[in-house]
Amino acid sequence: MKALIVMYKEIVDNLRDRQTFFYALLFGPVLLPLIIGGSLVASFKQFAIDFDEVTELAVVNEQAAPNLIAYLYSNNVDVITAPEEVEAAVRSGKIKIALEIPDEFGEQLRKANPAPLTLYVNDADKDSTRAARKINALIGGYKNTINSLRMQHRGIDPTVFKSIELTEFDVSEDGSSGQLIASILPFLFIMSMIMGGFYLAIDTTAGERERMSLEPLLALPLDRADVVYGKFGATLCFVLMSSCLTVISIYGLFQFFPTELISGGLRFDGSTLVKAFLLVSPLTVFLSAALITVSAYTRSTKEAQTYLGLMMIVPMAPFFLLQFFSLGASTWSMALPMLSQYQLLEKVVLQDDINSWHVLLSVGGTLLAGLLLLRLATKLYRRDRILM
Amino acid sequence: MINAEQLQKAFTKPGSGLFKHEQVKAVQDVSFSAADGAVTGLLGPNGAGKSTTLRMLATLIQADSGSATIDGLDIKDDLLKVRQQLGFMPHNAGIYPRLSARENITYYARLCGLDKAKAHSRVNELAEQLEMTEFLERRATGFSQGQRTKVALARALVHQPQTIMLDEPTNGLDVMATRGLRAIIRELANQGHCIVFSSHIMQEVAALCDRVAIIANGTIAIEDDLDGIRRRTGFDDLEDAFVEAIGAAPVGAAPVGAALTGVSE
Repeated sequence: MKALIVMYKEIVDNLRDRQTFFYALLFGPVLLPLIIGGSLVASFKQFAIDFDEVTELAVVNEQAAPNLIAYLYSNNVDVITAPEEVEAAVRSGKIKIALEIPDEFGEQLRKANPAPLTLYVNDADKDSTRAARKINALIGGYKNTINSLRMQHRGIDPTVFKSIELTEFDVSEDGSSGQLIASILPFLFIMSMIMGGFYLAIDTTAGERERMSLEPLLALPLDRADVVYGKFGATLCFVLMSSCLTVISIYGLFQFFPTELISGGLRFDGSTLVKAFLLVSPLTVFLSAALITVSAYTRSTKEAQTYLGLMMIVPMAPFFLLQFFSLGASTWSMALPMLSQYQLLEKVVLQDDINSWHVLLSVGGTLLAGLLLLRLATKLYRRDRILM
Repeated sequence: MINAEQLQKAFTKPGSGLFKHEQVKAVQDVSFSAADGAVTGLLGPNGAGKSTTLRMLATLIQADSGSATIDGLDIKDDLLKVRQQLGFMPHNAGIYPRLSARENITYYARLCGLDKAKAHSRVNELAEQLEMTEFLERRATGFSQGQRTKVALARALVHQPQTIMLDEPTNGLDVMATRGLRAIIRELANQGHCIVFSSHIMQEVAALCDRVAIIANGTIAIEDDLDGIRRRTGFDDLEDAFVEAIGAAPVGAAPVGAALTGVSE
């Protein structure tokens, strides 16, 4: 009951603090997904070639190769006439890409000689290289057709020249690009949770010590455990609030995601996100307890900010661990807070089957670790040192 | 009513060199008593052990040895009961700047077990008593030191404790605010409360206290009423008496024929 009074006071108090409010409700849940997810969306859009998209291609001497132009046109390439100084125009970005067809192109084709073409690309411009890869692929297709026709014309089976046909078969359950995006999700959740509780935890523990309000508070007829539980509860509320808002903003963000460009059955619909949120939610308890414990250990807000700033690296650890080593889901990894959530969320996003035993381990392990941390925080509060 | 017997407390502090710690004896031997209906001054220079003594009595830290009772309750056994009896206003007690004066006091009232209605009327009562109605509903950011002290005092009094301990409450207060606070403390003593008041300023204590315990180097050097202190130290001037008491000279070695006159201020 008294813990509830402490909790209520801390929530009211911190809702009036602009810094806490900003980090809990704006930075973690909105700005962070926007920065990370947004740049991811942008880079995917940049690197993925969309053959349905219309690409503009400036062509010098287009009348020299009417068939090629018609082929390109039928593959969503709009041909425009190139300006005079074609090289300079591509370099300056006035046009993205240009194709120069020499006068002898048609003649060389007719003679069955190699027909030359020049493609002007600006390698420093991502849009230009992306367009070049598309044009390259299209012309490659055109070349293969002509090669086959030339051989058939001479009575040779075109397959003669295909001594080996290598097929690459991706056996991973998903595309690697999908996996990267899948591991972004828990990262965003965990970061926004930490940001959500960050300032409140500091303000309610280290901040309370610094402004000398802890001593009279602890002199009141209440158990110190109630003080810890109250502060924990308030932090938990902010962390929960922050993660709920994160669900909404991630949902909004991934409406813009070009999922059809990513290999693997990646899905970011509402039910996926709700499932992901439920799986990640035990972390709210664990992270709130961790924030409270670390700031109870420190003597000043500055010290707390330093320690908790270092703590921000912790959620990145599983992210990199999973990027560099293919860790399979195992009993021990599923009992670890954060690592298990990373692995489970990846499965959710990639529509893999989830072992219910793994879910149980993850929830149990995370909650247990949270409770242990809470006990530690209570112990720290019972020491004389808390008032020194 | 407070009875302290041979209280001791040492702290470990980081010493010179890595992993080296040294013991600092903050309180070596503190015994004194404070009666109901009187103001007892705990007087001593900075670092004498006043705050540590009060913190032990307020059950905030545990004494290494010795014992103390507050209204007959042992500070080691009945933590929560002791705290229920006790109103403690620590040195530089902070209040919550983003809460109004009323919210600050109500928070403590609720934590002491008062329900909403009772807390509300108790806050009104205290606001009247401590003359703080005009800033009661204002947020505490920008409060003057006097206003902050009043809020902190109201918090300490909110559960109507029998025993009240104030650690250097007049620090940073101007003359008018100090006088106002003295009047409040006197009034509380007249109502029958036991009041312990710590200070490092002799005049402060002389103006207010019925009894004084002078503490130096973690030990009570002398405990008596003002006249008794003058008599035993042999100095008519209370400041001289204070210096004498905390100095090297053994207490009780007062010169023969020391003045027995009343309060000089």
